[in-house]
Amino acid sequence: MSMFADDETRSTFAWLPPDIQVIFDRIRSGLSKFSIEGKIGLFGLSLFVMMALFAPVIAGHPPDAITGDSLERPGAGHILGTDELGMDIWAQICYGARMSLLIGLAVAAVAGFGGGAIGILAAYKGGLADQVLLRVIDVTMALPSLPLLIVISAFMGPSVVNVIVILILFSWARPARIARAQTLSVKTHAYIIAARNYGAGSWYLLRRHIFPEVLPILLVLVIGITSHAIVAEAGLAFLGLGDPTSKSWGMMLNYATSFRSIYFTPYWQWWLIPPLVALIALLLCLAFISRDLERVLDPKLRGRRNTE
Amino acid sequence: MRENRAIISRFLLTLMILLTINFFLPRMMPGDPFSLASSDVEGEDVVVMTEAQRAYYMEYYGLDRPLHEQFIIYLKNLAMGDLGKSISNKMPVSGVILIHLPWTILIVLAATIISTIAGIILGTLSARNRKKGVDRFMMAGLIAFAEIPSFLLGLIMLLIFVVQLRLFPIAGAITPFANYTGILDWMGDVARHAFLPVLTLSLSQLTGVYLLTRNTLITVTTKDYIRTARAKGLGERIVWTRHALRNALLPVVTRTGFMVGALMGGSVLVETVFSYPGLGMTLRSAVIARDYPLIQGILLVIAVSILVCNLAVDLIYRRLDPRVVAQGG
Amino acid sequence: MTILKVDDLRCHYAIDGSVVKAVDGVSFSLEEGEIIGLIGESGSGKTTIAHSIMGVLPENARRSGTISYRGTDLTVLPEHEMDTFRWTDIAIVFQNSLEVLNPVMKVGVQVCEPMIRRRGLGSGEAEVRCIELFRMVGLDPVWMDAYPHQLSGGMRQRVLLAMALSCDPEVLILDEVTSALDAFTRKEIRDLLLDLQRTQQYSMVLISHDISFVSSIASRVMVLYAGRAVEVGPTRDVITAPRHPYTRGLANSTPDIFIYKDMWGIPGDASGGNSDAGCLFRARCTQAIDACRHSSPALMSCGNGWSVACHRGGIASLMAATGITFRYSLPDKRSLVAVDGVDLEVREGEVLALVGQTGSGKSTLAHILAGVLRPDAGEVWFMDSKVHGGKAGHRFGGIQIVFQDPFSSTSNRFTVLDAVREPLDINGIGSRSERLDMVRDALDLVRLPATDLFLAKYCGELSGGQRQRVALARAMIMRPKLLIADEITSALDVSTAANVLRLLKGLQNRRGFAMIYISHNLTLTLKIADRIAVMNAGKIVEVGNAHEVMLTPKDDYTVRLVGSRIGLCCHDHHTEVA
Repeated sequence: MSMFADDETRSTFAWLPPDIQVIFDRIRSGLSKFSIEGKIGLFGLSLFVMMALFAPVIAGHPPDAITGDSLERPGAGHILGTDELGMDIWAQICYGARMSLLIGLAVAAVAGFGGGAIGILAAYKGGLADQVLLRVIDVTMALPSLPLLIVISAFMGPSVVNVIVILILFSWARPARIARAQTLSVKTHAYIIAARNYGAGSWYLLRRHIFPEVLPILLVLVIGITSHAIVAEAGLAFLGLGDPTSKSWGMMLNYATSFRSIYFTPYWQWWLIPPLVALIALLLCLAFISRDLERVLDPKLRGRRNTE
Repeated sequence: MRENRAIISRFLLTLMILLTINFFLPRMMPGDPFSLASSDVEGEDVVVMTEAQRAYYMEYYGLDRPLHEQFIIYLKNLAMGDLGKSISNKMPVSGVILIHLPWTILIVLAATIISTIAGIILGTLSARNRKKGVDRFMMAGLIAFAEIPSFLLGLIMLLIFVVQLRLFPIAGAITPFANYTGILDWMGDVARHAFLPVLTLSLSQLTGVYLLTRNTLITVTTKDYIRTARAKGLGERIVWTRHALRNALLPVVTRTGFMVGALMGGSVLVETVFSYPGLGMTLRSAVIARDYPLIQGILLVIAVSILVCNLAVDLIYRRLDPRVVAQGG
Repeated sequence: MTILKVDDLRCHYAIDGSVVKAVDGVSFSLEEGEIIGLIGESGSGKTTIAHSIMGVLPENARRSGTISYRGTDLTVLPEHEMDTFRWTDIAIVFQNSLEVLNPVMKVGVQVCEPMIRRRGLGSGEAEVRCIELFRMVGLDPVWMDAYPHQLSGGMRQRVLLAMALSCDPEVLILDEVTSALDAFTRKEIRDLLLDLQRTQQYSMVLISHDISFVSSIASRVMVLYAGRAVEVGPTRDVITAPRHPYTRGLANSTPDIFIYKDMWGIPGDASGGNSDAGCLFRARCTQAIDACRHSSPALMSCGNGWSVACHRGGIASLMAATGITFRYSLPDKRSLVAVDGVDLEVREGEVLALVGQTGSGKSTLAHILAGVLRPDAGEVWFMDSKVHGGKAGHRFGGIQIVFQDPFSSTSNRFTVLDAVREPLDINGIGSRSERLDMVRDALDLVRLPATDLFLAKYCGELSGGQRQRVALARAMIMRPKLLIADEITSALDVSTAANVLRLLKGLQNRRGFAMIYISHNLTLTLKIADRIAVMNAGKIVEVGNAHEVMLTPKDDYTVRLVGSRIGLCCHDHHTEVA
């Protein structure tokens, strides 16, 4: 009897070691159990990804060049009109998707998986390393993130790399803590002791027992971190702390709201609304995916994350 | 007591790290923050300092002294409450903060109270009608709300209620140059201005309180001690208030405490959206104007008040829940 | 006078769309000042009954039937009226769990709470009474200011008891009050409860799976299985001479009652779903008949306040021998009375040990019971037909006999296969391959290899123990309802004998057949027998419950037999006989 949900999975991932294949297979069979909202989320996310990847093709105009009159209404040449400087808004949206997704995914990948790895290793090794890490995590999580975020990026200067680095520094602690807690709980189970008795080495235990327990939770967390990072970047940009050359949606909001008579003119309809809608749409898609993923992986999730 | 000491020591450690970060920040900047002319962002005001001002800052920060001495000067200044002089406002930083802090406190406290009460009421309603239409509807709606970040929510509110419907003022905490007919009139004006920021902040926290109340209540009502209380013939009212709520509201109350801290930090964005002259907005202007003493001062005030809030909650929680006291943290 | 009467109580839970019948038609009545015990294992519904009486079932439960307290039907009362009865008239000591007391309130406050709110005591008076109650249950009053998590399990149990007593109820329901307690505390609680009954006329419903505890304090006992009552009656009778197979199984599973008897459980598990129409115990019953599949038996009285729910009226009689007499003719025209007017009864699923010394006539009696010898007088009836001349040994579900001498009970020339298959061959049962399968199964039963190699061995090549097992397999292949084991281990080595005996008893427990075990060794029979019949010179001098016969023998002969034990022993057996 094949342990895979379908043979397609097996052939696609046949080159990976069997334990990783099982994880992918579980993800795939789990995905098929997604509800409607989850599928909508996935669909929407993939649209955004397409938008980001094919931005040069679908934008029509370059996002940072003046291609029209200032504050043109949406029309033939410019689908969503132009901003104060005459730059095409639709192009800015398309390229902005790149910025949001890049930052979100970069931060989530490094902070989520990196932090998770640190948590697992510290819990596994135990001893001094673990105690020190616990302290560091505690303090990091006790620091108020938003004010510090603002001030540090103010001082360090606006650049995409800076923003990513700072966000990583603020986001790694939670996945590390959760991964650590999970690892600790797995470590105490009798089957670990039994496996050790049979001569299992550390790498085997990590690979076969600990990763499969921790990975599902980390996956859900990673999506959460992506959302947070996107919001944080947008927030920073909105406050004027983002990279002025980057075409992120937050930056668009910043320019739009800084325009002196934005609220007394109809310009906000095509300058302010698109980035607003785009941000909300992307965040909702991620939220749908995250909730469904959590529900699907539920029986395997033992440490529940807070329903905040 | 041991656990209290652990909490306090963690607080102090975090505080020290905060102060240290705060200390090093301006010193990490590329270039000299106190050059006579600064600003490289087009369209922003150029900050120009007089020699006298520059001398003041050299003295205040001890910029000509070695680093560890600067740190001691820094701590000494803090202990005396001297946060320096704001470059852009040309008055002491503490003065600037004191002008704007009350507005932030107003909306933060109002939002805390409103979201807590509304969250508890809605959560209780949901819990009592579990799985029925009311519950499902509220769950779906509020969870969708929670995903939208506060400042975007604020923008939407702004666009709908201010721009389209013209129901509320567009900026500020009070109408400038207004003549008030009395204290009530003044309060009304303040309320009109504060309404949307408070609403936005409340909505951003509402879902959290709602879910917590709902889920805790549902869990509590299935507990054995509720059955014991019913068997004692105490009557629904007493069972509900003395036994169920008392256990269920514990986490909610502590969450409220943490909420104050979170809102203090998050008010920056919402105040900016509504141009509400609280501490958050002041921080933003300070950032744009590169007014470093002011930035540091505001950061300190916000961060320290968040830490103190959290500390208070941690300590109070231990007194409220007897189980936690015994477990050794 | 009856203070509490439960009539046809039914409680259903709706869980995830399916309906679980936790209690399915239970009735009992409690007299004033009486203590009644409800015994059952998990899933029997006993806790649900307790919660039903108090009216604290969860939301997804439906209750029907009547519960009358002093004539008032509690089931039709609205909540606030029911509240007037709760605690002040009927109080419950809940099963002890971590959260049965409110974790954020001091235990003293929780004990005083009902006194203040229900009895109108002032808080000072309530505290005084609380101190009294704490002392009564053996708790230092200083613990009144403690929180529940600061107390040990035993202390929490006592707090629950104090709390239940606080409003001076008439009826006390106690749900598993001893499960978390050590032996000393258990005894203290028992003494306290007896004292309360004696001095203050408390009536109690005691719910427990701890039969020893219940038997030490309840005058009447009700045994519950899968939500139904299977047996009700006076405690001593029900437990020492149970009429329902389940009760017998429970008693056998409890090491405290018959302490020399080996412990054996009831095969099978309690079934999960209980939606079928027949008797719910039939899958594990030793005596199920056709009717058991179609309807669930109702409780029927058998006199003396004793009722059993069984289509067969309780543990049924399997074999009845009356007035059996047998004489051997000796060459010199004298006759030897081997069996002299013996009456004997064997019941379904029981092990009856027939104990006697050489020449007592027990083997002769065994052969008569098996239908091999014809008695000179008297009859032996086995399942509605006479044994002699009948075909009790020719068919499945009949009588089988295993003899003493392993070397003559199987033929040297027969292979194992032939030997075990013989009864099937003789009676033409099954096809060739079916017979082979049945032989293999039978050999598995007796833990002999079922390989072709072993099957081809000649019986002459086997050891005594192996041959005895082959004989046993041969008997088991006919799936007997009664197995007569005639001194089957006396010719074997000690260790072999022990193995064979354990195997035999295991088979008996699992298959549920009755067994007449003939032996001269009294102690051995104590380990496996439910009843013992002592035989001397052709007569049965004493018969009864195995432990009673052995430990408190009434007949002189038995007394001498018991006293004849010699040798090293864990205790001095001259003083062991009461």
